[in-house]
Amino acid sequence: MSNLTSLARRAVESGGLPQIRFIKYLWLSLIGLTLFSAYIAERADTGFLEVSIMALVLAIKGRIIVDHFMELKHSHVVLRTLMRVYFYVIPALIIIVYLFPEQIARWTQL
Amino acid sequence: MTALAQPGSRNTEFSFTGSTARIPGSLAIWFAILAEMSEFAIMFIVYFLAKVHNPELFSEGPTKLNTLAGTINTLVMLTSSYFVIRAVIAIRSNRQGASTRWLWAAVVCGVIYLAIKVFEYQWNSAQGLDTETNIFYGVYYYVTFNHFLHVGWGSAAIVWVIFRINTGVYTQNQHEGLINIAVYWHMIDLAWITIFPLVYVIR
Repeated sequence: MSNLTSLARRAVESGGLPQIRFIKYLWLSLIGLTLFSAYIAERADTGFLEVSIMALVLAIKGRIIVDHFMELKHSHVVLRTLMRVYFYVIPALIIIVYLFPEQIARWTQL
Repeated sequence: MTALAQPGSRNTEFSFTGSTARIPGSLAIWFAILAEMSEFAIMFIVYFLAKVHNPELFSEGPTKLNTLAGTINTLVMLTSSYFVIRAVIAIRSNRQGASTRWLWAAVVCGVIYLAIKVFEYQWNSAQGLDTETNIFYGVYYYVTFNHFLHVGWGSAAIVWVIFRINTGVYTQNQHEGLINIAVYWHMIDLAWITIFPLVYVIR
């Protein structure tokens, strides 16, 4: 707790400059990942590799926002876990649906 | 650095398991966020199920959408989230004026997002695409219009927070309402970064 207090004091004294630099770096990373996804989208075909990359990009972007923008990285474990799991499950579903569409269609036939 | 680390900032404590921990903002906003994330999760499951039952339509569908508009809107949403967290950092440093300026920048991003989305819907219409075209576009319109509404009321909520800062209600030591709208806005951003690859990118 004393470490946190010390960090907070330094952040206030410096106007949050180290945190601002870090947040700016994360924002630029998110922008770069988005442009990378858009580049993949413009390719003629999307195979397993491309779909996996896009799922991974989504997982990374989600984790950055949950941990650092929502500031859950050091907050309550239940909220942090629920939000992090969301960005494991959705990317996993993207890959599963790509790999096994016929089987899922059979299982979900009305 | 977390809200936990900020001196004087008011945070909520709660416990599910007997151990107590702090959360950013209020417990109420987190129930709202989890409810909203569940709502979007149901939409994504509907998308996946519709996709496996209509693979051709979901393969062709994204190719006729305006990927550039979707990409720009993703950049706009991510940038708005950056502005919101800058507003939070500013108020923690007792710079209320800077905080409101960052929040206005986020509101401008929200308006730009809405304008691009309206343009995109008109562009779709000019291509002969609407909710009745096929199930892909039905899902696309349902999910993206739902998100459109969230951006609209989220932007309005940010304007309300700006008013509260300007009237001195939110200060360096008490700005829970700002944290609440900040985490809610990030939730809206999270929903969009999931929608973007699903409807625009993956074929």
